[in-house]
Amino acid sequence: MSESTKHRNAAAAHPVTAAVIVLLLTATIFFTIWIPLYAVETPKIGSWPFFYFYLLAYMPVVAIVLWITMLLQRRLAGREADQ
Amino acid sequence: MTNVNPVTFTIVVVLFLVVTFVGFAAARWRRAENMLHLNEWGLGGRGFGTFIGWFLLGGDLYTAYTFIAVPALVFASGSIGFFAVSYTILVFPIAFIFLPRLWSVSRVHNYVTPADFIRGRYGSRGLSLAAAFTGILALMPYIALQLVGIQAVLTVMGVAAGASNPYVQDIPLFVAFIVLAVFTYVSGLRAPAAISFIKDTLIYVFVLVAIFYIPSRLGGWEHIFGLVKTHMASTNPKTGKPFGTFIPTSKSTGSTQFDFVTLSIGSAMALFLYPHTITGALSTRRRDVIKRNMALLPAYSVLLGCIALFGYMAIADKTTAGEVKKADNAQLAVPYLFQHMFPSWFTGIAFAGIIIGALVPAAIMAIAAANLFTRNIFKDFFKPDASARLETRVSQWASLVVKFGALAFAIWLPHTFSINLQLLGGVWILQLFVMLVGGLFTRWFHRWALLIAWAAGMVFGTVAAYKVSSPTESHWANSSDIVFGHSVYIGFTALVINVVLSVVLTLVFKAVRAPEGADETLPHQYRADPSDTPAPVPAGAASD
Repeated sequence: MSESTKHRNAAAAHPVTAAVIVLLLTATIFFTIWIPLYAVETPKIGSWPFFYFYLLAYMPVVAIVLWITMLLQRRLAGREADQ
Repeated sequence: MTNVNPVTFTIVVVLFLVVTFVGFAAARWRRAENMLHLNEWGLGGRGFGTFIGWFLLGGDLYTAYTFIAVPALVFASGSIGFFAVSYTILVFPIAFIFLPRLWSVSRVHNYVTPADFIRGRYGSRGLSLAAAFTGILALMPYIALQLVGIQAVLTVMGVAAGASNPYVQDIPLFVAFIVLAVFTYVSGLRAPAAISFIKDTLIYVFVLVAIFYIPSRLGGWEHIFGLVKTHMASTNPKTGKPFGTFIPTSKSTGSTQFDFVTLSIGSAMALFLYPHTITGALSTRRRDVIKRNMALLPAYSVLLGCIALFGYMAIADKTTAGEVKKADNAQLAVPYLFQHMFPSWFTGIAFAGIIIGALVPAAIMAIAAANLFTRNIFKDFFKPDASARLETRVSQWASLVVKFGALAFAIWLPHTFSINLQLLGGVWILQLFVMLVGGLFTRWFHRWALLIAWAAGMVFGTVAAYKVSSPTESHWANSSDIVFGHSVYIGFTALVINVVLSVVLTLVFKAVRAPEGADETLPHQYRADPSDTPAPVPAGAASD
């Protein structure tokens, strides 16, 4: 079995994990480029307008999501090795 | 040199001497048996782990010009400047998707530059020449802008002012640059890697102190945001329009949301196409190091968010705002702000941070441009049998030529010229997206289609940027123009043209059965993770 079909099988055998990875990456991109979502002044968080608060608070979220994605990919690769 | 503060000046000089020492000593750091090899000089031995990789990539991505230009844009135009914050968020999920594939295939085939990959993937030296040419063209003004960043700091320090002779005025800049050029020549990528530890530490310290200390002196965030909101809504006498926007607007007239998003997407896609960021990425040891760093580097973007806010603090501080207005140069906003807010010793630390912050990316950019020249122009077209030793020598000399070219840019040409070229640099480098990122996922595109689409994107982007005028400038006024009633980033429009042409022309060339180039890569190599150190000779190089 070639390397490439093995990889496809791993995604096919674990469709949930594979789908979650795609979903997480799409979501991190979407919540940055969908600007009407956060280009607003209110609600204020403390003395910060929402726009500025959102941009700063979103960074750690992206970091955590990418870390989870990496762990999921590793799990996918690990299962592949087991087979 | 009449207004120079001795404490600030001494601290900057001492930190610069430390960096000079580290830059030369780095040649002995993680030393390999045979240093006369591009994997060593140009990629630091390809062995950096997560920790060093984080410092190197962080120091590489966030340039001194960013620290000066982003707050300058925020100072002048308000919320649109925060596109830079949004794009440094967006860049990591995007790079997470394609960068590990580029790392793997480059590791397997020992590619040193992105153009090496393009040649291997499409079997086309012409296409790889186009990529190398674009990379060098985009990097030269970018290096020049690092010098512009240094000059902004020197001006505020009082070092560069007062002398009537422009050559005397630029002596400190000359000194900084010669030191940079020599330690890059000697130590290669090891020098910026070692110095990035000092850079990142200094920047972390001064940004974190500033973000808590300055607002407390200016009357709190509520007060700052309030002043900025009033200022942005007031009318700019030069243009007869409001200064800027406090929150990106969605109204049909004067909408800035579309501009914000296209600038953000375009810049995020461009960032990891720049040869110097790819050089940083390829210097890492394992595939997972890249992925881990994509998750860890947003910690650096938080700093950029804080730095952008310095632009608002400069508006809220009357003295700073007045001085920036008097000098008619928004780029001085951050240096002036620090000078007014901090005691002189801390100003010295912050200024040294910005100056050293310029040296790290400038060194990596020169190395990246030199590698492109050596691998994809010199070797491919002039001396195919060049030995690894000769390649390294050529790269070392090319790095000097590139740096002095950039120095000439910064000194003899008006600064607006470098800034315009850098804006264009982003537009140009985006035109590599289809051939590079597209090529990482599919071999469907035809090499001739990619070449024509690249040329079309380059020409359109350059002409469109040239034609943008404003009440104060006749050409190159902005990096956005109007498409279907919306203000859109020119790089984005040019990329759309590039993608459409690539697809249409590929269909045409496939229909007429134009010859495809040979592809030397295999599908599984894009996921490979070789743990052993790469072979001592880059692909295709004769051993000596």
